[in-house]
Amino acid sequence: MELLEGIATLKKYGINVVPTLLTRDLGEAKKIGTKLGFPLAIKIISPDILHKSDRGCVKLNISNVEELGKAWKGIMANAKGARIEGMLIQKMASKGIELIVGGKVDEQFGPLVLFGLGGIYVEILKDFSMRVCPISKEDALEMISEIKGLPILQGARGTKPVDLNAVADLLVKVSRLLSESKIKELDLNPVIAYEKGYVVVDVRMIE
Amino acid sequence: MINLKQIFEPKSIAVIGASREPSKVGHAIVKNFVAGGFPGDIYPINPNATEILGLKCYKNVSSIKGKIDCAIIAIPAQFVPGALEECGKKGVRGIVLITGGFSEVGNVEGERQVAEIAKRYDLSIIGANCLGVLNPAARVDGIFLPVYKMARPRVGDIGFISQSGAVGGCIVDLAAYAGIGISKFVSYGNATVIDETHLLEYLGKDEKTRIIVMYLEGVRRGKEFIKVAKEIAKKKPIILLKAGVSKKGAEAVKSHTASLAGSAEAYRAVMKQCKIIEAKTLMELFYFAKIFDQPLPKGNRVGIVTNGGGYGVLATDAVELFELELANFSEESKKILRKNLPNYVNIRNPLDVVGDADSARYDLAINTLMEDPNVDIIVVVVLFQTVAIDSRVISVITRAADQKKKPIVVISTGGEYTEVHKRIFDSYGIPTYHSPTAALDAVQKFVWYADFLKKNKRIG
Repeated sequence: MELLEGIATLKKYGINVVPTLLTRDLGEAKKIGTKLGFPLAIKIISPDILHKSDRGCVKLNISNVEELGKAWKGIMANAKGARIEGMLIQKMASKGIELIVGGKVDEQFGPLVLFGLGGIYVEILKDFSMRVCPISKEDALEMISEIKGLPILQGARGTKPVDLNAVADLLVKVSRLLSESKIKELDLNPVIAYEKGYVVVDVRMIE
Repeated sequence: MINLKQIFEPKSIAVIGASREPSKVGHAIVKNFVAGGFPGDIYPINPNATEILGLKCYKNVSSIKGKIDCAIIAIPAQFVPGALEECGKKGVRGIVLITGGFSEVGNVEGERQVAEIAKRYDLSIIGANCLGVLNPAARVDGIFLPVYKMARPRVGDIGFISQSGAVGGCIVDLAAYAGIGISKFVSYGNATVIDETHLLEYLGKDEKTRIIVMYLEGVRRGKEFIKVAKEIAKKKPIILLKAGVSKKGAEAVKSHTASLAGSAEAYRAVMKQCKIIEAKTLMELFYFAKIFDQPLPKGNRVGIVTNGGGYGVLATDAVELFELELANFSEESKKILRKNLPNYVNIRNPLDVVGDADSARYDLAINTLMEDPNVDIIVVVVLFQTVAIDSRVISVITRAADQKKKPIVVISTGGEYTEVHKRIFDSYGIPTYHSPTAALDAVQKFVWYADFLKKNKRIG
């Protein structure tokens, strides 16, 4: 599924996604950028370019209009010859705790929702919890409290605790989305959680 | 409509494939019903015999005049459809199909045929390819394993569902040996008609069953299973061992989530969600199941009584390992203990009543903790190797347990002398363990479940 389509689906369920727009025009991009506010990230959307970073078609931490123009031109040059659908302009999410929220359809039990700490925690330590959809808010809170990395969310080593209530709401919404749609696999990775609220930065949906 | 009562509590049974030959399955079944003292009618069916074990033998079910609640079928697979048709026409609705040779060996067509006949006549079939059912209270013994090889457990309140016959047989045998009682046992094999969810639902409603133990290799109706399990877990504990957790490597997954969430993880998620207690080994099934006979703990504070200092330390470690709390004895308890125990006994938890403790010392210690408001669970370590301790400690502990005030578990490690005493405790319904970790793991599951019940009551 297209990224923008994925984002639209998430929004339909009231899930917070980092502001993201698509444009083909640098002038418009600059206007969008000013409206969203810097820093921004831009990424090319092209059916010919699957690994955007490898081709130098992603630029992060753009902090003003000038840099945006430069980044745009650089990416376009790197993408020469490819069919280009447009450029994705995305507000950079501020720093917080990285989470992963996912979904998968199990052949026996139907859709499952997954929760874990992002990055190495889920990848290497396999620290995640899961439930069968649909889940209640209590289930969601239980999922959060089940992971070994819970103290990180509760504010370990002087950091502020993250908004577990908002994260639990997110899990409930994702579970509803999975129960009501034909999505077979879903990754919201990363989701950045803050002291107040969260934001989904990237989404991958497979129907 | 599925009707399991006629299978678990039949008034009359027919054994299709009854045999005069002692080495045959069809012989063992008739024999077990007769020897087990089944009070209802037993109809052996064998066209070539006139009498089996003193019972009149019939050519087929249609030649029997009386009503038959349940037919146990142990004839070769190719004759099964015919026998089922006959049962259907005669009005026999409960079937235990012992016979194998269906889908488990690739005979999918045969299995489909069985299902089709069942549907046509509204037959409730357990099997195919199963070990059968056991209901000690009703003296129903439809298991084809000879009693001298597989002992039968006493009447108790654990209901046991096993997909596998082999695993089921071992567990029943072990339960009998350990003195653990069961309410019902069933091995359901291929689940051609009746599956794990039907059986779970039945035991959920069964008043004689207070604890449900399951050994599963898979679940057929996942959503339904979750619904049923969730409801039952609010009333009685379900302890589940899910076998076959190997990863499906061939499955092509694209997302990060799907690569993490295999079938084993899905089952684990289901167990957590339904408040099913997960056992990871066969022994854990026992360890966890038997503690649930005790009164529910009000909290997680453990009081330990021991006649060996080292075991006090080990038990304390296990309390911490399983995230329980070591109780602080009340001032009142300390006063009583100090006054009545020898002056070389340290008055603290774990309470080491010392190697020269006799049963009277245990009596005082256990009864004091029984009255102590700061103690929720009593763990009694009895090391039978010492000079002063003997069988009298059994009556001390059983009397304390009879008060049904707080859960008591016993830890005892040793050889034959110890084993004999452990079996007596277990058969009295006092959960007994060979090690502190095994005991406190079970205590932790019990405390967790009691806590869930409490919370659930508050919400509901």
